[in-house]
Amino acid sequence: MLGTFNTRVIALMPVAIAINIVLGYTVQTVLKLPIYLDSIGTILVGVLAGPLPGALTGILSNLIWQYTPGIGGGTIGPFAVTAGVIGLLAGLWGYLGVFRPRPAAGSQLYLAALVGAAIVLLLAIRIYTSPIYGTDPAQGGYGPGVYVLIAGIGIAAALAVAGFIIWRRDASGAWVAAAGAVTGIVAAIVSAPIAAYLFGGVTGSGTDLIVAALRQGGADVFNASLGQGLFSDPIDKTITSFIVFIILSSLSTRVLARFPLGERLVAQQRA
Amino acid sequence: MTAPTTAPLVLAAARYRYAGARTWALDGVSLSVDASRILAVVGANDAGKSTLCLVASGLAPAVIGGRFEGSALLDGTETRDLRPHEAAQRCGILFQNPLTQLSGTVPTVWEEVAFGPRNVGMELPEIVERTEGALRTLRISDLAPRDPSRLSGGQAQLVALASVLALRPASLVLDEPTSQLDPEGTRLVGEAIRRLAGEAGSAILIVEHKTSLIERVADEIGVLAAGRIVARGGAAEMLSDAALTSLGVDPPPAARLTRVLADAGIDRADVRRAIDAVRVENFSGPPIEAPA
Amino acid sequence: MRPAEGVYHRLNPTTKLVIAFAAALIAFGVRGWSGPVGVLGVVGVTAAVAGIGRGMRPFVLATLPLIASILIVNTFLYPDAHDVLFRVGPLAATGTGLAAALQASLRVVAFALSVAVFSLTTPTDDLLVDLEHRGLGRRGVFVIGAAIRTIPRMAERAGEIVESQRARALDTEGSLLRRVRGLVPLAGPLILGALSDVEERTMALEARAFSAPGRRTTLRPIPDTAGQRAVRWLVALGSLALLAATAGGVITPP
Repeated sequence: MLGTFNTRVIALMPVAIAINIVLGYTVQTVLKLPIYLDSIGTILVGVLAGPLPGALTGILSNLIWQYTPGIGGGTIGPFAVTAGVIGLLAGLWGYLGVFRPRPAAGSQLYLAALVGAAIVLLLAIRIYTSPIYGTDPAQGGYGPGVYVLIAGIGIAAALAVAGFIIWRRDASGAWVAAAGAVTGIVAAIVSAPIAAYLFGGVTGSGTDLIVAALRQGGADVFNASLGQGLFSDPIDKTITSFIVFIILSSLSTRVLARFPLGERLVAQQRA
Repeated sequence: MTAPTTAPLVLAAARYRYAGARTWALDGVSLSVDASRILAVVGANDAGKSTLCLVASGLAPAVIGGRFEGSALLDGTETRDLRPHEAAQRCGILFQNPLTQLSGTVPTVWEEVAFGPRNVGMELPEIVERTEGALRTLRISDLAPRDPSRLSGGQAQLVALASVLALRPASLVLDEPTSQLDPEGTRLVGEAIRRLAGEAGSAILIVEHKTSLIERVADEIGVLAAGRIVARGGAAEMLSDAALTSLGVDPPPAARLTRVLADAGIDRADVRRAIDAVRVENFSGPPIEAPA
Repeated sequence: MRPAEGVYHRLNPTTKLVIAFAAALIAFGVRGWSGPVGVLGVVGVTAAVAGIGRGMRPFVLATLPLIASILIVNTFLYPDAHDVLFRVGPLAATGTGLAAALQASLRVVAFALSVAVFSLTTPTDDLLVDLEHRGLGRRGVFVIGAAIRTIPRMAERAGEIVESQRARALDTEGSLLRRVRGLVPLAGPLILGALSDVEERTMALEARAFSAPGRRTTLRPIPDTAGQRAVRWLVALGSLALLAATAGGVITPP
C-alpha cells in the first residue's frame, strides 16, 4: 500500500529528482515565471510507485537542491516537508487511479468538461469564502482587489480545464484538476508555517508580491503566507498534475505496465 | 541444432509475450550457444531481436513481467528459477547506449567495474582480482583511474562490458552493442568480442544489424523474422545468401559486390581474379576480401 | 572535483553533516538574535579555518533576493507594529519590523552558510561511502549519487534548450505569455529524454546484480575517530537540548 522500491523505481528516482531541481530552477530563475514547477518528478514517482517513493523523491529533491553548488542556497531545503507531503498525496492519487485515461465522446465528454470546470470553481469558491481570509480588512481580511483576482483566476482555470478535457477527449482531466487543486491546498497549508516561522513569511520569489499585498490588507505573517500559498499552490500543482498526465499518456502501455502502480494508469479494457 | 544441454546458453521452443500485448514477440525460438562460440542473430526491426536478448539473459520475464513459455537455460538452470542477480552471474548482457549502462554513481572506471562484484557482497581481494581481470581481458587497464562519464562511446561500451564480465558469466548476450558507436568504437568492441570467445571461452549471442561487424566476429548466423528463427548456418555461407536482403538484412559490402557481379553474368572465380589483380596494382585502400 | 585538503576537510563526512544540521537547527530554532548570530560566528570561523571563503560567495548571492524580500516586506509591512521609524509614501517602516527582518535575514544567511561549509568541504562520494558504511542501503546510495551526477548534465541540457529558444526568437525575456509559451519546448524534451533512459538503466542495474540481497562490500573506509564520534553526539544532543530549553522557556536568549 505504501509503495514499492524495485530497481525500476530506484532508476527513476534520481531522474525525477534532477527534473524537479533543473526544471524548477530554470522556471523560477531563468524564465522568471510566477509558478514553481518543481514537483513534476515527485508527482510522477508518487503516481507510478506509491506514496513512500513519492515522498522520498520530494524530500531528497529539496535537500539535494539546497546542497548543490551553483544552483543551491536559498530557502528550498526546509520545504522538503511540503515536498514530502506532495509525494504522499501523489501516491494516493496513483492508487485511486486518478491519472488513468478515461476516453469519452459526445455528451459524456461535455458532461465531464462541465464537472471538471465545476470542481475547479467549487475549490475557488472555497478559497474565496474561507474563514481564514475573513471579509473585513480591519480583522485580517483582504481588500476587494484580491477577491477579484481570485475570482478571475478561478474562472480562467475552470475554462482551461474544460477546454483540456474536450481537446484530449478524455474525462480524466476533471479528476486530474481536482487532485492537483487538493494537492495545492494541502501544500499551502503545510508551507505557510515554514515560511512564516523560518523566513519572515516570504520566499524570495515573485510570489512575495502577493504576500506584501496581503500584509498591506492587514493579514498577519502566517495568514499572509497561507493566503499566498492558497493562491499560488493550487494553480502550480494543477498545472504540474496536467503535465504529469500528458507525460504518462505519452509513455507506452508496455512501459507503464512495468511500474508498481502501472495497472492503475492504463485505460481499463471494455468488458 | 542438436547441441548438448551442457551449453551455457540454451533456448528451447521459447515464446514470450510482453505484458499487455496480444501477439508473441518471440514465437518458438530454439537455439544454443556453446562455450567459445559466437552466434549472431540478424533480422529486420521488430523481428524480436531485443526481446530475444531479454529472454536469453533471463531479464524477461523476471524484470519486465509478461508471459513466457518454453525453456531458457543458463548453465543448465531454467531462468524462471533464477532471480535477476543470480542470472547476472550466469549471463552478462550489454545494451546499445554505453552511457545509461554505467551506474553513474562512482568517480572512477575501476569502481564502476567493481560495482557488480560489490553488489553480490564478495570479499575485497576477490573484487580486486575480478575487476582487474576484466579490465585486462578487454585491454583497458589504463582507463582504470578515469572518470566514467568522460569516456568516448567505444571506451564507455568497453567499460560497460568489463562491468558485466566482472561477474564472470559463462555466456554473454550483446544487443546491438555497436549501434551507437563510431567506426573506431565499433572496431574496438568487435576485437573485444572476438577475444572474449577465444581467450575467455565465453558463449556469445550477438544481435546486430551491422553485417560488416558480424562478418568479422560470428561463427554462425541465425535470421530472426516475426519472432522465429527462419534460417541459420555458417557465417560465410549465410552472409552471401541472397535471401538475406528479402529478410530486411543488408549483406556486408563484399557479398553485395559479388552478387551484383554474379547478376551481371560474371563468374565468382573471375571476381576473385579481378580482386587479386586490383590488389597487385598498387591498391591503396583496405583489402577487399572475396567471399570463399 | 575534490576540494583542497585542510583540517576541516579531513573530518569524517558524517561529523560535518551533523554539524551542518545542528547549525541549521539552532539558526532557525533559537529565536531572537543569539541563535543566528552565534551560528554565523561559528560558521564564519569554520570557513576561515577551512579556507573556503571564496567558494561561499555563490551561496551568499543565492540568498540575496530572499533577504531583499524579507527586509522590504517585514520592515514596511509588519503586522501590528506601530513604532514608526520613517515613511515612504503610504508605507511606514517600523522598528519592530526592521528587527524581525534583520533576524530573519541573519537566520537565512546562517543557514545557507552552514550548508555551504558542508557542501564545499565534503566530496559527495566520501559522504555516500561513509553513509553506506553506516548502514544506508545500496538503493539510497544509488538514488542520491545518481541524482547529484545527473543534475549538472541536465542543467547543461536545459541551458542549451533555453539558448536555442533565444536564438529562434522564442523569447525567454519578453512578456509573461511569451515566456509561458517557451516552457513547452523546454519541459517536453527535457523530461521525455530523461525518462527514456530509465528502462535501459533498470536492465543494466539488474544485469549487474543490483538487486542481490545482503550488504554490499565497501571499497574504502572513510577515516573516523572516537573523538569525532563524541563530538557528533555532543553537537547533536547539545543543539536539541538548547532548542528544547529555549522553546520551553527554561532559558531566554537575548
